[in-house]
Amino acid sequence: MAITEIIFWFLSALAVISAIMVVVSKSPVHSVLWLVTVFFAISGHYILLNAQFIAIVNIIVYAGAIMVLFLFVLMLMNLNKETEPQKNLWMKLTGVISGGCLLIILISLIRQATEIKGKIAITKTGDIGLIKVLGKELFSNYVVPFEISSVLFLSAMIGAVVIGKKD
Amino acid sequence: MNAIIFSALIGVVMMLGGIVIKNNASIQSLAIILLFILLGSHLAEYYNLFNIHIETHGMLAKNRFGMFFNTIIISLTLLYVLLSGDEIAKAGTYGAEYFALLFFSLCGATILSSYNNLLMLFLGVEIMTIPLFVLTASEKKNLKSNEAGLKYFLMGSFSTGILLMGIALYYGGTGLFAIEAGIGKNANEIQQTLRILLPLGLLFIFISLAFKVSAAPFHFWTPDVYDGAPSVFTSFMATIVKTAGFIAFIRLFELRSVDMSYSWKILLPLIIILTLLAGNITAVFQQSVKRMLAYSSIAHAGFMLFALYNPNDFGKQGILLYTVAYSLATIGTFAVLTKMKDYTYEGYNGLAKSKPVLAATNTIFLLSLAGIPLTAGFFAKYYMLASALKESTRNLWLVIVAVLFAAVSVYYYFRVIQAMYFKEGNAETTEIKPFFKVLLIIIAALIIVIGLMPSLLLDLFYA
Repeated sequence: MAITEIIFWFLSALAVISAIMVVVSKSPVHSVLWLVTVFFAISGHYILLNAQFIAIVNIIVYAGAIMVLFLFVLMLMNLNKETEPQKNLWMKLTGVISGGCLLIILISLIRQATEIKGKIAITKTGDIGLIKVLGKELFSNYVVPFEISSVLFLSAMIGAVVIGKKD
Repeated sequence: MNAIIFSALIGVVMMLGGIVIKNNASIQSLAIILLFILLGSHLAEYYNLFNIHIETHGMLAKNRFGMFFNTIIISLTLLYVLLSGDEIAKAGTYGAEYFALLFFSLCGATILSSYNNLLMLFLGVEIMTIPLFVLTASEKKNLKSNEAGLKYFLMGSFSTGILLMGIALYYGGTGLFAIEAGIGKNANEIQQTLRILLPLGLLFIFISLAFKVSAAPFHFWTPDVYDGAPSVFTSFMATIVKTAGFIAFIRLFELRSVDMSYSWKILLPLIIILTLLAGNITAVFQQSVKRMLAYSSIAHAGFMLFALYNPNDFGKQGILLYTVAYSLATIGTFAVLTKMKDYTYEGYNGLAKSKPVLAATNTIFLLSLAGIPLTAGFFAKYYMLASALKESTRNLWLVIVAVLFAAVSVYYYFRVIQAMYFKEGNAETTEIKPFFKVLLIIIAALIIVIGLMPSLLLDLFYA
């Protein structure tokens, strides 16, 4: 077993176990922390696929910004045993059935997808995920949307100031 | 390209102008001058005099239909700012910033009329709506305005999420973000099983855009937001933004009509009827004129959806005519509404006695919205329904249903006219300038001229 393969299996197991822990753990703060672990494991996978940029963005944006936001909301809501909404049996049953339906569809899809059967991800090669290639693409083919998104950010910034400033 | 670049630029100029200029009247004049510059630059491109050429790599497509639509919405914005510019500046403490946000929103609308790539669709929709969230909540002391802003923001971001999901599925099905018909160059790599993602993605995009144009059953945000927002901004939202949403809709679904199989032909009439039903029937029971106009704008969305159902020449001309007729009348009625002190029907009692010009012009606007002959609204509706019959005579039942709902709409528009002319009372208004009256008369005259000769406008399109 090569070293990349060992890392791959380790990261996969970590991602799956953490994802289960997100759902299973009682305290919402623990759930969020497990979710951070999931994101780190997935970022590890991205690095294995030679996509450094997406790995870094995944950590900065998801594990960093969005998770902090999640924690803020949780702490502001001050969740505890008393305020937890009571879920009745029917609600749980509907949840299980609808979730189970999705699971069946996903499993049957993967079973039918013959084109990916027996193939493994190509690691350590390919340059699509490199920052250099991405930058070149962004400033040639996608330069118009790139520039126009600045209008979007500018209007959002003006909006934030208009809304947030004291009269 | 000129319209996009200049509308963004005048937004920046307006924003920086706000640092120097504090006086509301001069802010308004600056906005009007900037809009004239925008219109001039756009017309220069339209007549091939001056054009900033940028290699867009197929992101934007210059097309006649979109260019003509841009001319219409820029002119309408100019008219809107001339008519209610002082109200915009008065809506809160940041007059110049409100104008800047309006210009950015206009920039989004011009992107939507020429996008050729789903990435640009996303950016256009966002640039158009994000300033509106802020404008809706601009009356900070008013709890209703705050609520409307938050509601619009939450619902808007939710629908944007659906739009992105749809774009991702579309990419999965075709292998490209461009909206041209067919499948991308790496089509061989996409297995036949994945093609199913394309209609699914189109459905998601459809839902999201239906939300933006407030078609039922995605219309629930509309009455609250339109009612809660300051009346001047409601006017902008209900006209320019809404019609730009329809143009985005038509651009996408015209090119993708191949993928719209039998089931689409069932889905769309269903949505049209639901929208007409939800808009017209609920509007009947309203007590406030502003809320009634919000529901009536849902009903008009139902009529505009006809252009989507029948993407033929009649439908395309019809949507242009509808944009002009509906926007002129709505801008007019909302301009009168902002001058009223009481927004209920009772507030309009006896307006004809105290302010005859306002009452007379408002009557013409309402008649046009109802689609009475000799006004622009009649031909707008006529073109929409004719497009359905032109496509296939089997659509006759849909046309009959639409005509019935148009008859229902006459009821609630006439209630306002009845209050103005036949009820005793003294309708209170804020101070009205002679210039405002002159503009109202000009708009009313435009509605009647287009109502008599719609070809005048449509000939411009082919000229």
